[in-house]
Amino acid sequence: MFAEVLFIAFAALSILGAIGLILFRHPMKGAMSLIVTMISLAGLYALLSAELIFVLQLIVYAGAIMSLIIFIIMFLNIQDNDLPIEEGRYLYLAGGIAVIIPIACFMIKVVKSIPAHQATIVGNGFGGVKEVGLVLFQDWLLPFEIVSLLLLVALIGAVVLAGKRRLLK
Amino acid sequence: MSLLDIFMIAVRVAFSAFIPLCFIAVCVWMERRGAGFFQDRAGPNRAAIYGFRAAGLVQNAADGIKLFFKEDMISDHIKHKFFFVMAPFIVFFCAIISFAVVPFADTLVLGGRGYVMQGIPMDIGILWFLAVTGFSVYGIILAGWSSANKFGLLGSLRSAAQVISYEIPMGLALVSMLIVYGTVNLSEMAQYQGQLLFGFIPMWGAFLQPVSLMIFVIAAFAECNRTPFDLAEGESELVAGFHVEYSAMKFAVFFMGEYVAMFASSAIIITLFFGGYQIPFLNTQALITFAKPVAFFMMIGLPIGMYYFAGWIRRNNVSHYPRENDPRVTEANVYIKCFWGLVVIIELLLIGILICQSGGSAAHVFVALLQICTFLVKVTMMIFVYIWVRWTLPRFRYDQLQKLGWQMLLPLALLNIFITSAVVIALS
Repeated sequence: MFAEVLFIAFAALSILGAIGLILFRHPMKGAMSLIVTMISLAGLYALLSAELIFVLQLIVYAGAIMSLIIFIIMFLNIQDNDLPIEEGRYLYLAGGIAVIIPIACFMIKVVKSIPAHQATIVGNGFGGVKEVGLVLFQDWLLPFEIVSLLLLVALIGAVVLAGKRRLLK
Repeated sequence: MSLLDIFMIAVRVAFSAFIPLCFIAVCVWMERRGAGFFQDRAGPNRAAIYGFRAAGLVQNAADGIKLFFKEDMISDHIKHKFFFVMAPFIVFFCAIISFAVVPFADTLVLGGRGYVMQGIPMDIGILWFLAVTGFSVYGIILAGWSSANKFGLLGSLRSAAQVISYEIPMGLALVSMLIVYGTVNLSEMAQYQGQLLFGFIPMWGAFLQPVSLMIFVIAAFAECNRTPFDLAEGESELVAGFHVEYSAMKFAVFFMGEYVAMFASSAIIITLFFGGYQIPFLNTQALITFAKPVAFFMMIGLPIGMYYFAGWIRRNNVSHYPRENDPRVTEANVYIKCFWGLVVIIELLLIGILICQSGGSAAHVFVALLQICTFLVKVTMMIFVYIWVRWTLPRFRYDQLQKLGWQMLLPLALLNIFITSAVVIALS
């Protein structure tokens, strides 16, 4: 019961955030609503007892990526009169909704036609840090290592490139 | 859920919510007295209630009242008032909930059930801290940006760039700690540090990973935006940086958020590197077994310590010139009586421990209280280190700050990870 209330709250918040992202004119307001969506998605992951994904969602998406986006928006210091005048944006919006509604109805029908499964949360610490780590390092060791090396190279490369340009100047 | 369960949940949530709030007062007081001490002056010693100055603590109350009754104004040029008002609360809230995962005592066993002594008993521990401290950047960015002010914008640009770049060395320093401990759960980390290295050194993170300690502490200083990393505020160049437009309680919330963040990051440093709640050489099991001898020694030690403390108060709380019926002497006498009263109460409790059967739930509660006190004492010492650094080192130049983060701490942290993992693999 409690979990259901939480689910409805998080789902509603994430959809509201997404709507805000589209409808707000100012980029900072849009970005802040996207953060709301990201955090409510993290809440949904937590309800599925996927602890690691929950905290990674918070650190990577809601924390790191969004703070970079907001940093750039602040850096550009956009004022209201810098924004383009969008005439007929509600017309486009109505058109978009009209296109999407049949697709959404179709998707709902597809989901409903899937043979009913009792939705239960998988036990045994599924989604915890240790379990995900075991799966990663036992079944997916090579891809995981390749991806982590790639990220490490990107990190060091960024530092080296940033340092080099300063020397040339 | 039994009544005890509900009570324990209430206790730990209350602890992790109210202790940071109480420590705001302690931190501000320590900061002022510490500044006075380092600059060879007296510090706050005028504010008083009926002549009682409480070593300068009354000054905090005076400041609080002042900030509360100041006019709370938002200037007209600020367009995004919602973000402007929300920003300080983001900073404050993030600081408070980042403390929620820190264990302040070992798992308390009462009636055959274990109670994890954390605000939120979560397995993800340190990752939660990283996530939540990352959010406090939003508060700073929104504050500076919505102020629509050059100084504010510059301050929050600097602060955001600094926090984002120091999060990377901090995370990498943590990785090598995670390799050593083999867990992200802060409770398990603290339990691990109760062991002994070579049989005589406490197995604290500081002894196992001194390089990681150094990197983490520097990065934590930077995350708290305190001198030598206070370029965001930079009073002499940016007036007050991102909170230049804030007044009254909105400023106070920023101010308190800064101190709560300082408390929470000291608590994390203590838990990661200095054994958390562990008393050196006495882990939880030993403490429960020897609860009575420990209580007995405390009963003897407390009055002796109090005697010398009373002497110290009497020597220091006098007027600097001869006065008839010196009010400060009467003040000191009242303080000394209060402290003796406290000692008597603690002695009575200790007698209670001596009477109770050993190994019972009274011993468990006693050990938990002892560990909470140890934890708070350690955190206070770490806060003192923060204050010490703040009033000793000058501010960095901005390029020096980025150079330190990216060109020294980052390679050092990466190297530390490789060496640590090599050693761990060689030993296992």
